[in-house]
Amino acid sequence: MFCEKAMELVRELHRAAEGRLPAFNEDGLRQVLEEMKALYEQNQSDVNEAKSSGRGDLIPTIKFRHCSLLRNQRCTVAYLYDRLLRIRALRWEYGSVLPSALRFHMSAEEYNSECQDSAFLGPESHSGKMDWFNRYKKSLATYMRSLGGDEGLDITQDMKPPKSLYIEVRCLKDYGEFEVEDGTSVLLKKNSQHFLPRWKCEQLIRQGILEHVLS
Amino acid sequence: MFVSDFRKEFYEVVQSQRVLLFVASDVDALCACKILQALFQCDHVQYTLVPVSGWQELETAFLEHKEQFRYFILINCGANVDLLDILQPDEEAVFFVCDTHRPVNVVNVYSDTQIRLLIKQDDDLEVPAYEDIFRDEEEDEEHSGNEGDEGSEPSEKRTRLEEEIAAQTLKRRQRREWEARRRDVLFDYEQYEYHGTSAAMVMFDLAWLMSKDLSDMLWWAIVGLTDQWVQDKITQVKYVTDVGVLQRHVSRHSHRHEDEAHALSVDCARISFEYDLRLALYQHWSLHDSLCNTCYTAARFKLWSLHGQKRLQEFLADVGLPLKQVKQKFQSMDVSLKENLREMIEESANKFGMKDMRVQTFSVHFGFKHKFLASDVVFATMSLMESPEHGSGTDSFTQALDSLSRGNLDKLYHGLELAKRQLRATQQTIASCLCTNLVVSQGPFLYCALMEGTPDVALFSKPASLSLLSRHLLKSFVCSTKNRRCKLLPLVMAAPLSAEQGTVTMVGIPPETDSSDRKNFFGRAFEKAAEGTNSRALHNHFDLSASWRRSPQQQPPPPISDLRPEVVLAGWQDTPASPGWGLQGGAAWLPHAQAVIELKAEDRSKFLDALVTLLS
Repeated sequence: MFCEKAMELVRELHRAAEGRLPAFNEDGLRQVLEEMKALYEQNQSDVNEAKSSGRGDLIPTIKFRHCSLLRNQRCTVAYLYDRLLRIRALRWEYGSVLPSALRFHMSAEEYNSECQDSAFLGPESHSGKMDWFNRYKKSLATYMRSLGGDEGLDITQDMKPPKSLYIEVRCLKDYGEFEVEDGTSVLLKKNSQHFLPRWKCEQLIRQGILEHVLS
Repeated sequence: MFVSDFRKEFYEVVQSQRVLLFVASDVDALCACKILQALFQCDHVQYTLVPVSGWQELETAFLEHKEQFRYFILINCGANVDLLDILQPDEEAVFFVCDTHRPVNVVNVYSDTQIRLLIKQDDDLEVPAYEDIFRDEEEDEEHSGNEGDEGSEPSEKRTRLEEEIAAQTLKRRQRREWEARRRDVLFDYEQYEYHGTSAAMVMFDLAWLMSKDLSDMLWWAIVGLTDQWVQDKITQVKYVTDVGVLQRHVSRHSHRHEDEAHALSVDCARISFEYDLRLALYQHWSLHDSLCNTCYTAARFKLWSLHGQKRLQEFLADVGLPLKQVKQKFQSMDVSLKENLREMIEESANKFGMKDMRVQTFSVHFGFKHKFLASDVVFATMSLMESPEHGSGTDSFTQALDSLSRGNLDKLYHGLELAKRQLRATQQTIASCLCTNLVVSQGPFLYCALMEGTPDVALFSKPASLSLLSRHLLKSFVCSTKNRRCKLLPLVMAAPLSAEQGTVTMVGIPPETDSSDRKNFFGRAFEKAAEGTNSRALHNHFDLSASWRRSPQQQPPPPISDLRPEVVLAGWQDTPASPGWGLQGGAAWLPHAQAVIELKAEDRSKFLDALVTLLS
């Protein structure tokens, strides 16, 4: 049946948990595009035939194929758009440098595309995801620099209003030395507890080296 | 030096700095640490907390961290040894020591800048005067300088020479007398080791001075004091005095109860003074279990014998409690029975010869459901800290530290279960030791050794549990034996520490007397015996003698534990047997701290022989 491949793509994304980015399904996308191409060509020939030989009984078939084409287009666009939204969430979650595991899940095609940072991309000319990510990053950085006077304001920090400047953290693994803002460093050993500024610890908490101690 | 104004000279100094906290592994230190953490968090002082359980860990941690910090705070470790000598810090490092171990080492007292003691001076310290111990070296140099200026005539020279010689001999004799007096003074000072005011109470006092005290902190101070009492570290008189001090704070914090309009909400921590039974964990256990597993009652009733069990039944009948009720969980007991329980039990206990059944203590209520006595929390935290189930020492330390917070009551309940297990194992071990006559008299002391295959022996490898076991064993033994001489003997106890390395832990407990002032000896005796017999011993724990010195010429230690040789402390005694290891100068063995040491199993017998000879 037509459009099954496209449904597969959509279902794959629907199955993935919130925020996770499964690997880019190039094969699936290519198959859908080929199906669309085949349908389109068939429709072309049928339309020509219908016009030239006046065969009215071909029109439902043409209509049907057209509907399938539209459905395929909707599915692929939904797939790509949803992926872009997830990639954008990744920037806010992980910062400007993505872990390499995630990078593999994105398509890393051309790095210099002419398209602006629009979320909508036509199925025929999808530029590289990585490239989109880079451009989104740049755009976000420009915006952040434009806020808050000279230095700019990092709006990806402190997503929820913090309750205190400093937090108590406990070290779960041996990490080594860790720089604090006045140049001195702290040695992070397993099971030592520290009371450090919140923004310095957030990265390490996300990586699982420190644990926030609530008392 | 002693810090006189805690607020100005300690708190305001560290407030703008980053500090490193070294915390020893006992409940009192944990409580003091929690109070200090709360103060620091209130004032945004950046700190790092490192748990230490012995001298080795302290030195290792210090070496690792000393580049990054200038101010160090030591809680319940370090007052009784020469810190500057052991840690070898830089010139600018400053140490604040809040320790209950006494006597405070004289170098720590008289060090002007680097070591600052957070100890109240009205504790009976009796530090010897400066002149008695330290002597300026200038006088000798002056004198030798004068000698050079001598001149001219031979006759004058001769008389002057004779005068000089006379003067020199006099000086030398004076110097010898001074040194002898110094030895005596130091000997008297460092003779016995004991404990001072709880570190948690000192910290609470600081918080109160700054008007930043909360009821949480007050509760931690109470737990710290109760820990000292449970482990027999302070005398009864001191305990009652300190309870009085804390009671004033409790009434200050809870005076709002009377005024209905401003009553505290049910969810707050409400602390109250109680004159409650001495039975361990009785409100979280059944009354019968608690009576059987509290050392005080188990020893008095002699519950290891059949006769004792019958006496217990008589006692319960006398109080008027049916056996079925008593064996149920305390919370499910009949309310009518619980009404006057304390008074009834006290009356009957008096008849059976137990005069101190009730003791002054405090309890805390969290919400409707959770009620704890201070001793419950002490037992729970102690068991969490020493339980063998959590991997390394620092893991259990963090568990125990967490359990003191109000938000982690599940950990506290877990600790209570562990404590029940520990108490039960203690009593069973005591019963088996007494029934099989494992406690033998070695002459000047009693000796008991736990064999490798004894059930639950793993629970007694840590020092606090082993000390508790030994003290209870001594009390039970004193109640069980008819030999009057044996009742006055101290006890030495050995338990296996690690099977692969073949080490044992030994603990020395002073004799049991009614009016004991909790001053302990044994540390030096252990040291000397180990030295003399060439045993491979390790004095790792903080309860050790003050004048414990470092001998730089050590051979690399045998692999009794994986220490880095350059970090090994002087407790590692592997010196060749010196002929006069006994004691010179007629002074008997210098009795010192309540000592815990670790030994290799093969050296145990010769170590004991040496100890016997030393003490007799």
